[in-house]
Amino acid sequence: MSLTPSWNRFLLLPMLTAVVAGGCSEYNSSFVYSERTTSLIPEAQDGFKGESEAAPAISGVKQLVDDRFGNPQDLKAWLKLPVEFGGTQSAVAEYSAVEGVATVKFSVEEGKSLPETASSVHVVSGALAGETLLISNWDATTGQATLEGLPSKEISAGDSCVIDGGTVMQSGRVLYMRHCSHCHGTSGDGAGPTAQYLNPRPRDYRHGIFKFTSTTDVSKASRQDIKRVLQYGIPGTYMPSFLLLTDSEINSLVEYVRFLSLRGEYERKLVNELAGDFSQKAVATRTEGGESREAIVSELKEMLAADIVDAANSIGDGMAEDWSVSDTAEAVIVPTVARVPDSPESRRRGRELYLSKTLNCADCHGVDGAGNGPQTIAYEKNPITGEPYNEAGLHDVWDNLNQPRNLHRGIYRGGRRPIDLFARIHAGIKGSRMPSFKNTPHEDIWHVVNYVLSIPFEPEPGATGVAVAAPPAAAAVAP
Amino acid sequence: MKKFWALFFIFWPIVALYVCLVAPSRNWWFPSAPMSSVGHQIDGLFYLILIIVAVTFVGTQVGLGYALWKGATKKSGEKAVFSHGSHKLEIMWTIVPSFVLVFISLTQLEVLANIRVLARFPDEARKTPVAEVTARQFEWRIRYPKPGTQLSTEPQEGDLYFVNELHVPVSQPVMVHLRTQDVQHAFFAPKLRVKQDAVPGLVIPIWFEIEKAGEYELVCAELCGWGHYKMKARIIAESEESYLKYLAALETDQNEDGVADEAASASDEE
Ligand SMILES: [Cu+2]
Repeated sequence: MSLTPSWNRFLLLPMLTAVVAGGCSEYNSSFVYSERTTSLIPEAQDGFKGESEAAPAISGVKQLVDDRFGNPQDLKAWLKLPVEFGGTQSAVAEYSAVEGVATVKFSVEEGKSLPETASSVHVVSGALAGETLLISNWDATTGQATLEGLPSKEISAGDSCVIDGGTVMQSGRVLYMRHCSHCHGTSGDGAGPTAQYLNPRPRDYRHGIFKFTSTTDVSKASRQDIKRVLQYGIPGTYMPSFLLLTDSEINSLVEYVRFLSLRGEYERKLVNELAGDFSQKAVATRTEGGESREAIVSELKEMLAADIVDAANSIGDGMAEDWSVSDTAEAVIVPTVARVPDSPESRRRGRELYLSKTLNCADCHGVDGAGNGPQTIAYEKNPITGEPYNEAGLHDVWDNLNQPRNLHRGIYRGGRRPIDLFARIHAGIKGSRMPSFKNTPHEDIWHVVNYVLSIPFEPEPGATGVAVAAPPAAAAVAP
Repeated sequence: MKKFWALFFIFWPIVALYVCLVAPSRNWWFPSAPMSSVGHQIDGLFYLILIIVAVTFVGTQVGLGYALWKGATKKSGEKAVFSHGSHKLEIMWTIVPSFVLVFISLTQLEVLANIRVLARFPDEARKTPVAEVTARQFEWRIRYPKPGTQLSTEPQEGDLYFVNELHVPVSQPVMVHLRTQDVQHAFFAPKLRVKQDAVPGLVIPIWFEIEKAGEYELVCAELCGWGHYKMKARIIAESEESYLKYLAALETDQNEDGVADEAASASDEE
């Protein structure tokens, strides 16, 4: 009898070891595919297996995405995209292998410099293309590297390579997994484990759309925009400030978020090419209409083998263009006039405009700015499915119900500086029903900004009297 | 074996004594030397209690060791003395600890009042609170009054806002108003020895005087939700001059209209 407890104690030790070993085993996370991808017929998702030399394998959507973006453990750098992956592009200048010691001398383009430290080199072209070699000794001044062991094939002068490639991505990934993924999800789909408890929901990056930007209505978010959100958070939502991360940490996070956004956008656009004809629903309709499934599948096979490859490339080109232009000064909204000085007259003019038919802010934000305009009780149709939403009110492209901002709260999600409010009105809130008012004269926008900023301090709602000589505004209120 | 146990129990008070003596100089108890005026008082209390506890612990352990040693070295024929109860002793060990506890509670009153009682706050701090700190899942939102005005409980036009970074002037008592937007949090600046819960619905004044310019950690010390660990900010203590400069820069930034200054004068064409 008395033996049992001590025997148990001995059992505890191996159990503990088992737990520790199990807990520390490598955890492989992977990107998930969007619901739209998985709504395609299996052949479109997975492609076709190669049967012979003459009929090689054909990639489906999943493979096309993986080829260019990889998985968290094995990130791919699609160099076409405007993402700073990290690493130094270089070329092999000399290579020698003497008595089992391989030495490579690297050169970089003029104007660029060799890194201070180097631990690995990824070969891009030549006999060893695709392989990563470890560097045991690095001389930053001469660019001379001693490799760890002998490479399996010869390296020749002129082969291009990347030294310490992907360092930015890697640190971005580590930080993202630690700080962001529990809400925004490993794939940036806004569906991490804590996401379900939040309202508003965390952003799903995969549309490539961010709400609060300094850029024009047709532009993407700039790096600076994402950085601002990371540093200062979004008041009124669960997005906290990460001000205490270092600048380089924030920058690598920005790059990783761009990477995830581009991945999602690419997948989405690829599916757009196929969804019309090859979603499970479309194929069901087509077979009902008399087409044979075999015919549809061979049509798909042809498309995946030829057209989709071109489409993929042009999608990549388009995204590269959009995201890099959005990161330039041209994309940033710059008012043509400085802010109109805040005054009772300006606020009154702002309120007039707020109530006017042209801007019609009151339609959503309410006559007194309480975020309770008539649109909040109207039933919208989902623009994609064409079906009405279950609940009344405005919806964004993520199908979340959006409450028009109650302007009395004094909480400004996209920032409280006058330029932030100006940009919000000028470009609208991307992905939401807040439209762009870019054709409104800038001076008028400033009046509205002055009025909106004054709303929280009105002695009572709607206290800013509209000038008597403004019958159109009064007419706008009446209905 | 008997002797081993006697020695074993004598060994620990020696270790305790050593730790108590060495710890203060090695900073084993605290993250650093106290960096605020109340910090010294709080540390003083801690060490006072530490001495009392150490003396008690060592004393009882020595008594225990002595009894064990005596038992261990007793000759085999010797009889043990049986004693049951001693009124004198019982009264002693009731009265002495009560006195000690009363002593501690009276001594700490002074320090507690200095930290918590608004009327005891230094005048200059009490009259001009520097900022309102609002805890929120999971960050610290800061609101400074519009430069030249008094902090008001409700936001006022021209108030300055920031997040996760609180600037205060060094070497002078400052007061901040603490509140929370959602659940209970706690304002904890370990090096300043300031720790105060933020309670929903209350505005709680805290004061401290930072003795050395620099950056101090501010964390949440009340488990407030899944992102509790993220709730970190910094307090920056700086000279009056650079503090005012900071507020001025913050004000400029908050009035940013996106138009470069030279462009502003040239863009009268509408
Ligand atoms: Cu907290």
